[in-house]
Amino acid sequence: MTDESQKRIEELREAAKPCFQCGICSSSCPVFRVAPEVNPRLAIDAVVSTGELTEEGNEWLCAYCLMCDQRCPMGVSLTDILIGLKNLSAAEGNAPFNITKAVESFFTIGVIAPGTTGVERKRNKLGLPEIPKPDPEQIKILFEGTGGLEILEKNLAKESLAE
Amino acid sequence: MKYAFFIGCTMAYRLPFAEKSIRMVAPHFDIELVDLPFTCCPEPSGVRSFSDDTWLVFAARNIALAEEKGLDILTACAGCHESLSMAKHELDTKPERKSLANEHLSAVDLEYKGTSSVIHLHQVFHDKLGAEEISKKVETPVIMRVVTHSGCHLLRPEEILQVDSSEAPVKFDKLVEILGMEPLEYMDKTMCCGAGVRGQASDISFSILKEKLDSMAMVNPDAAVVFCPTCFISFESGQRIVNRMFGTEFKIPVYYYTELLAVAMGLPEVEEFLAGHRVKPDFPLVHKSAAEQQVQPENTTSQ
Ligand code: SF4
Ligand code: SF4
Repeated sequence: MTDESQKRIEELREAAKPCFQCGICSSSCPVFRVAPEVNPRLAIDAVVSTGELTEEGNEWLCAYCLMCDQRCPMGVSLTDILIGLKNLSAAEGNAPFNITKAVESFFTIGVIAPGTTGVERKRNKLGLPEIPKPDPEQIKILFEGTGGLEILEKNLAKESLAE
Repeated sequence: MKYAFFIGCTMAYRLPFAEKSIRMVAPHFDIELVDLPFTCCPEPSGVRSFSDDTWLVFAARNIALAEEKGLDILTACAGCHESLSMAKHELDTKPERKSLANEHLSAVDLEYKGTSSVIHLHQVFHDKLGAEEISKKVETPVIMRVVTHSGCHLLRPEEILQVDSSEAPVKFDKLVEILGMEPLEYMDKTMCCGAGVRGQASDISFSILKEKLDSMAMVNPDAAVVFCPTCFISFESGQRIVNRMFGTEFKIPVYYYTELLAVAMGLPEVEEFLAGHRVKPDFPLVHKSAAEQQVQPENTTSQ
């Protein structure tokens, strides 16, 4: 783990500290409701007590519904912390395949869900205007400049190793 | 009102008929829509999960494009709305985040200033136009009992988005009421549709959706009404998958608000976008054709 990641974990730990383990986040969580092995309260506990990532992959099962965040009586921003954990996991090349693919699509065309091939025809038929396309060169500069490309390449490399 | 129209990838590429309904009704309320070369908002579960900085800078780029034109951004998707609003909040309240964004943006000759606001269609209809303006346009009330689903990303975080109460939202119900519908209270009104984990864990995602649909079905609605294309797809295509997975028999038609608005306004060619729906109601949604309307005596004015 890099120094940068270590520093980030310390920050997340600070952010999680006010948690007093009341469990309101978990009882509000739609994922916990159907899959109790995913538990935001325990995720926060793990961050505070060990400063370690929660059980592999669990942060990637957050649906980002923001219910926990809204309801936490201590004002802990669980979604920020979970995103922080995802960032750390992605930096190690551990993002789920579908997320990597979506980000790759974003990098190539600036769009995450380009949909089916027939969509342009459908749009035409409905009399909808053509959607102005972002300049790919601009996307490349910003994506690379903010470190996105490096993370993407790392995850793509892991994927191809796994194949 | 003139806005930079942030259609969003999901609506533009997967739900063009809902976009059609927005473009159809907009001119009737003096709303002019300007299309700009936006990228994806970007979406929090993808790009932001990879890199918070990448997310922030691309959101800043999108907002900066609208600022250049002197326009506010109008969103149609709850997801885009949350993402852009959260980024804007960070950029406007944390000077170090704003300078980071502008450092990167200068490489592509753009600057984030903070001069454009981000507003969702829900807010335009409820807060800007209001019941009075909308009801003036209603010609044929849509008679249905419906459940509304505002969507996680319009409701939370309430302090920042300020669209409606995150625990007990009522504004969307008012909006459907104006069109003649009866909004039904239901148990898990503010619960997520499960879309956020569909790609990583479809079993979890559809289990969440089933819980939500169960809650809707309990009050036996004629349809569900949404203000987000992602929620739309979850409910409409998703219920067929839920039915396969769990042996349930959900058959709840789903509408994006402006589709029903167009129907209520008696606009022609609504069939064009209604045809794109996969779960159709058992009853005719458009009760009388526009032609029939004209030969009938005035009977819609008294209330
Ligand atoms: S709701 Fe807040 S204080 Fe309670 S367990 Fe969750 S993070 Fe901790
Ligand atoms: S944001 Fe994630 S962890 Fe929090 S309640 Fe929603 S799904 Fe659960």
